[in-house]
Amino acid sequence: MDFLFNDLALTSLLSGAKNTLLLTAASMPLAVVVGLLLAWMRMSRHRWLSWPAAAYIEVIRGTPLLVQVYLVYFSLAQVGQELNTKLLTLDAFTTGIICLAANYAAYEAEILRAGLEAVDKGQREAALSIGLSERQAFGIIVLPQAFRIVVPPLINDLIAMLKDSCLISVIGVPELLDRAKSIGKERSTTAQMMVAAAVLYLIMSLACYMLGKYLEKRLKVQGAHELHVEQVHGH
Amino acid sequence: MDQGVTETAKTAPILEARGIHKSFGPKKVLRGIDLSVATADVVAIIGPNGCGKSTFLRCLNLLEHYEAGRVLLKGEVVSEGCPEEHHFTRAEQEQARLVRRHVGMVFQRFHLFPHLTVLQNVMCGPRHVLRLGEQEARGLAETMLRKVGLWEKHPCDPATLSGGQQQRAAIARALAMNPDVLLCDEVTSALDPVMTTEVLKVIRELADEGITMLVVTHDMDFARDTADRVVYMEDGVIAAQGTPEHIFDERPTPGIRRFLEHEPANGTGT
Repeated sequence: MDFLFNDLALTSLLSGAKNTLLLTAASMPLAVVVGLLLAWMRMSRHRWLSWPAAAYIEVIRGTPLLVQVYLVYFSLAQVGQELNTKLLTLDAFTTGIICLAANYAAYEAEILRAGLEAVDKGQREAALSIGLSERQAFGIIVLPQAFRIVVPPLINDLIAMLKDSCLISVIGVPELLDRAKSIGKERSTTAQMMVAAAVLYLIMSLACYMLGKYLEKRLKVQGAHELHVEQVHGH
Repeated sequence: MDQGVTETAKTAPILEARGIHKSFGPKKVLRGIDLSVATADVVAIIGPNGCGKSTFLRCLNLLEHYEAGRVLLKGEVVSEGCPEEHHFTRAEQEQARLVRRHVGMVFQRFHLFPHLTVLQNVMCGPRHVLRLGEQEARGLAETMLRKVGLWEKHPCDPATLSGGQQQRAAIARALAMNPDVLLCDEVTSALDPVMTTEVLKVIRELADEGITMLVVTHDMDFARDTADRVVYMEDGVIAAQGTPEHIFDERPTPGIRRFLEHEPANGTGT
């Protein structure tokens, strides 16, 4: 076990794990927000909203993430050169976040759309009937219920993104797999490094699972048992 | 067919529907409904399934939009018919919202908000629409829940309540907005006889307090005992209306006779 408990290897692997976590922590919330916007557009009765959203979702879901990463990283810089601007020349880490968020937004859009459509139509009508606006009915009544439904598949995707982040290593981001490969190559201990990396991925995935359990518990109605008779009369 | 209309219905209507027409695609569901409701009136709307009773109620509070006609609240036009493809402006949406603040509704399937406690359900309107503070909204919600006999259930998850309790909570939620008119859409159809009695007791108490109500019901005993006026609908029109005695005892049309012969008194039939 010297290869693992050697300071350099463990430090390097943990540094890679930190980048993996940062990539995921930055990309997933962005993916959910963009996904919610896409879901709303997709559900709109206006074609000028629903068609572009549908096109985006199908194109992104139909092409590999790795291809998207290469496309964004190399094309953006080229477009920037053509337009004579450095604004489109992004560092690898930022590009990684954009690619992961843009890719997963397409999947989250469909998950969120399913969650929104699963909420009983009567809930919106009941909300409107007490004078809430459409926006309030959506934000206060429908969306929280949809979120309760979609937490398990969202956590699923969070764990998937954690592992997919290793693809960002192709553009030079020093995340966990990249670090494991480097150390393994240096010391001819590739197999052992892969085992170590797998264990660290598993630990991070279990943390995501625990987050999911916490969210499911928090989103449950914080109801209590009924009051006893003396409490009713004493009130 | 409007014999026996009570004097109260002839004066100062709080809610009026004039010439309401509504279609779902090629199917005409409402064919020109005219109805006036006076303050403190309890109007029971009866008729066979599919005759347009619930659709009419939903047109009154603009959960459904209708193609022709108008609705007046306290003498003012609050909505007018428009084509199905009409795009509602922000002002029209806000107007619809204002109508719903004053015309409350209770649904057949309760539609309590499952992610909120019973108390939070009733506080929802006062907090987010009337913009009351937390304590004030809570006080109002407590009053409403005590009125329907449900205060001891206020901290509970709505899913843990019986059907009758859920419907009473839904009534409290609607009443918390202090509506001018309360629309009740087959509020006991999803309940067993015991729970039906529980809910109708609350509605009778509200009627005694002078709350104006339109009640779509299959419970003929309730319509006879509690309503000031009974409206019989058939094929999208009001075929007859009058006092309970006029409708149930005189049975002025063949349609009413056929309907009442098949409809059990306590509304357990179709």
